[in-house]
Amino acid sequence: MTEFGHQHRFHCIMQDEPAAMERLCQVVRVRGFRLEALAMGRDAGRLTLAFTATGQRSPAMLQSQLEKLISVESVTCAPPESARQTA
Amino acid sequence: MNAAQHILETFRTHGIDTVFGYPGGCIMPLYDALVESDVRHVLCRHEQACALAAGGYARASGQTGVCIATSGPGATNLVTGVADAHRDSIPLIVITGQVASGMIGTDAFQETDVLGMALGVVKHSYLVTNPDDIPDVMAEAFELAQSGRPGPVWIDVPKDVLLNPVTTPTASGDAPSGDAEQTPTDVSGILSRLRQAERPLLYSGGGIRLAGAETAFRRFASASGLPGVVTLHGTGNPGRGCPDNLGMLGMHGSRAANEAVEACDLLLVAGARLDDRATGHLDGFAPNAGVIHLDTDRAEHHKLRTADLASDAPLAPTLDALADALEARPLNIEHWRQHCRDRAKTAGFRAATNHEPLAPITGPAFVRQLSETLPPEATVACDVGQHQMWVAQYYDFDHPRRHLTSGGLGTMGFGLPAAMGAQFARPDQPVVNVTGDGSFMMNAQELATIRRYRLPVKIIVMDNQCLGMVRQQQELFYESRESQIDLDDNPDFAALARAFDIPALHIRRADQMRRGIEALLAFDGPMLLHVAIDRQENVWPIVRPGAANRDMMDAHNHHADKETLA
Repeated sequence: MTEFGHQHRFHCIMQDEPAAMERLCQVVRVRGFRLEALAMGRDAGRLTLAFTATGQRSPAMLQSQLEKLISVESVTCAPPESARQTA
Repeated sequence: MNAAQHILETFRTHGIDTVFGYPGGCIMPLYDALVESDVRHVLCRHEQACALAAGGYARASGQTGVCIATSGPGATNLVTGVADAHRDSIPLIVITGQVASGMIGTDAFQETDVLGMALGVVKHSYLVTNPDDIPDVMAEAFELAQSGRPGPVWIDVPKDVLLNPVTTPTASGDAPSGDAEQTPTDVSGILSRLRQAERPLLYSGGGIRLAGAETAFRRFASASGLPGVVTLHGTGNPGRGCPDNLGMLGMHGSRAANEAVEACDLLLVAGARLDDRATGHLDGFAPNAGVIHLDTDRAEHHKLRTADLASDAPLAPTLDALADALEARPLNIEHWRQHCRDRAKTAGFRAATNHEPLAPITGPAFVRQLSETLPPEATVACDVGQHQMWVAQYYDFDHPRRHLTSGGLGTMGFGLPAAMGAQFARPDQPVVNVTGDGSFMMNAQELATIRRYRLPVKIIVMDNQCLGMVRQQQELFYESRESQIDLDDNPDFAALARAFDIPALHIRRADQMRRGIEALLAFDGPMLLHVAIDRQENVWPIVRPGAANRDMMDAHNHHADKETLA
């Protein structure tokens, strides 16, 4: 737990299209989380992202909001234990 | 066929015969293609009105609305109307021209990063860089706008792309659906909880209309006998005169509705998102109740209130399946049902009647008179403020699509263009814009559009010479320190209408209400009715923002409440 809240680690696959990253970052911010770390790869028309976000709200809520993005194909949130280990 | 022509062709293939727009530099190729198109283009007088009118068209018809504007200021002016559609889940296709591809990123004349600007107010958006992408993008856009939880889809097209030919004119056919994979309808868990409950309550919202579940909803309500409360967007769900309808809940909800939420032991939420204006402070909301949440958008489940059971199954078959079971074996809640019916009579919305013919007009009395005079098929498009709440409280809607109101965004200036859109969608039915003197002035230029197309929209301006809702909250919550709410230098609204060749009437006494409304309805064409109401009139009840709904204030107790709060 940080001053900003709990850390959560997400893995996301989304279509590689204009503003894809901006969409994701905006949802993370608007839904009350702060990006702490982000790694991205691009392959065969897809973006693969691993990121850590900190916030006081439910990570399941953020996951469900990210899943609503049309560009997003999948989002998973690691259990809190592994998030702490990898953050 | 170039990309601009293909866009118009896509409108035709999707059954869109009316679009709302305003031309300009970078969108000119589309307007050039319009010359040979049979799509009806409605030229509004401001891009914001284009988006709001397209939204009104979609709200009234259930079809997708379309609005068009040029780059830069055309696009930025659209944003409020698109955000309005986004917050209320209205299907919209937004087309904007963009500066030519090679000029993007050079700070060109009328260049704005539309894709970036609009991210927060759309369901999805595109910047089209290749004309051959247009068929797929258009097909995807219509599918996304309409499917799942509907919403606006914005397509930004550079001018050169609009002009270039489309060499692959058919869509690939694999447009993604906005429908998430839904859980199959299984009502056993819902039924089990309903049968265990002693005081179950039905809480419905705009999702009933969005799902096309109006008939199933009423069948379920009848079969279950559940007392019901409604959100602002759910006001027409129960239908006119439903004795089990306790009215709107929340900040300006009825005492009967908020009390029932407080007392219930099971809350069945259908097509609603438990927004803050409805729930008040969440800690005090339905404190004794388990929650069943039926909403097609999974992201709404457990977002604000943890549900004991949540389902994203399609609403209509779910409600029909519940009705089947309950018709075969009814619930035993007669005592609770009768209690709620009694409270609806004594603590529901009952307009004060003006016994004195020369008395001033009050908002509730006028809206009740309007409700009694207009036919059930009439559409009422509101603006935002006190009049909006009086309509939600005292107008008895027969169908949720007959009530157009900006619920999520709360957009002043919504009503007049939304009424225009609704009148295009329902040309043979009455459409009435109920507005306030503040809201009306935010899109008053659309009187020119109404006159140009000879739309028989009836406009009712409830004029209290101030921003009434702000004044009310300043009175109640800011020690009556009025700040920037005076509109006593309003223009003569009747003269303003006449300047657009629209006739107008003026009333100020209670005995003029019926005749004024009847004259409005009888006139063959657009007309404005100016209704003078008292500056100090308040909307009751009211819950202080951030407070629990149990702490609602009304005309009789608000002074005591102010002392308590202090």
